[in-house]
Amino acid sequence: MPISYYLRGDITNPPSSASTTPTTMTIYSFYIFDRHCECIYIKQWHQRDRTFRPTSSATSTVDSPVTLSSDRHSAAGSKLQNEVHPSGRGGRLSVQDDAKLVFGVVFSLRNMVRKLSGPDDSFISYRTGSYKLHYYETATNLKFVLLTDVKTSNLKVVLHQIYVNLYVEFGGFCYNYSASMVCLLFIVTKNPLSPIEHPGGEGVAVELFEMGLDSFIVSYCTLRRVRSWLTRLGIENNTGLTYHSAIGYTR
Amino acid sequence: MVILSLLILNKAGGLIFQRDFNEGLKKLSSNDYLVLAGTFHGVHAITSRISPLRDLGGGGGGGLEVLESDKFRMQCFQTLTGTKFLIFAEPNQPNVDVVVRRVYELYADYVMKNPFYQIEMPIRCEAFERNLVAYIKPKQ
Repeated sequence: MPISYYLRGDITNPPSSASTTPTTMTIYSFYIFDRHCECIYIKQWHQRDRTFRPTSSATSTVDSPVTLSSDRHSAAGSKLQNEVHPSGRGGRLSVQDDAKLVFGVVFSLRNMVRKLSGPDDSFISYRTGSYKLHYYETATNLKFVLLTDVKTSNLKVVLHQIYVNLYVEFGGFCYNYSASMVCLLFIVTKNPLSPIEHPGGEGVAVELFEMGLDSFIVSYCTLRRVRSWLTRLGIENNTGLTYHSAIGYTR
Repeated sequence: MVILSLLILNKAGGLIFQRDFNEGLKKLSSNDYLVLAGTFHGVHAITSRISPLRDLGGGGGGGLEVLESDKFRMQCFQTLTGTKFLIFAEPNQPNVDVVVRRVYELYADYVMKNPFYQIEMPIRCEAFERNLVAYIKPKQ
């Protein structure tokens, strides 16, 4: 079953369960930025409107997990960047431009909050009329950003879990993923040989990380739904279902 | 009710009013407040731009409304004319949107109806401040 079925509260053509269940959580996208302000990972689950996408290669990058490094280095990537950029106001932005804007917002808000209430404070989330952005920053200035629908409660814990259980475990980042074309070679961050930095915004292109993230998000969403059913039926949650068990599922 | 601070931004992103009501936020220089207001104005515009629903044909849905951090919660209300009211409150403070609406009413009554007030310029209306303090202070 495609992951988007679980995650997307489809606006135009909603699946019946997703739209009627008030507790459904919609997750739109996920970003990781490193401490050099480079976006090292993007994943967008929501489907974009395709009318502005002229080529089939353009749509494929949106459906499949988008990795910066592969776009940046391959010829198809550079061609794509030129084509998809719509000009003028109101046009749709490319995935990379979206990431830049997200970073700009997150960075400015973080600095604003720090200025106002001291260096140990950090913003957790913000909400607009149509979406909510969750933010988590590690001590090493890695920034994790998750965009969800507005009804979602605080997801800082979830982002922390993604960092601890997925990024640190699998998020071994291929140093020269696309240059060497050694696909899906993966090095665990705990491996002393694996690089800590990602110069030039080399992407996180590890299949295990991808799969882990996908199944984590899916199981988290499913878990929430199950728990909401239980509460509606008046059953206490004593089954030991937590998001930790969702994590365990991925490992 | 613990309201920490109020900022009013004009439609160009300039700071036209700032006042602290309770301890909790750092005191910044007036220049820093101006920078902050300008930055927020830009960020607010971008937040409506990066809405995922925009791509799905659902419209932008406006900019930032609530910002949460460990130590405060900021509510932003934008009027139809583009003036922004930023209210900083404690993180668990309920009904801040009601407070914002009330402050907007006071603004309409004591600032906009003041014949000496020049539009888009810094607010120096004694009646406005007096009523604002009367509304926010006694409830803490």
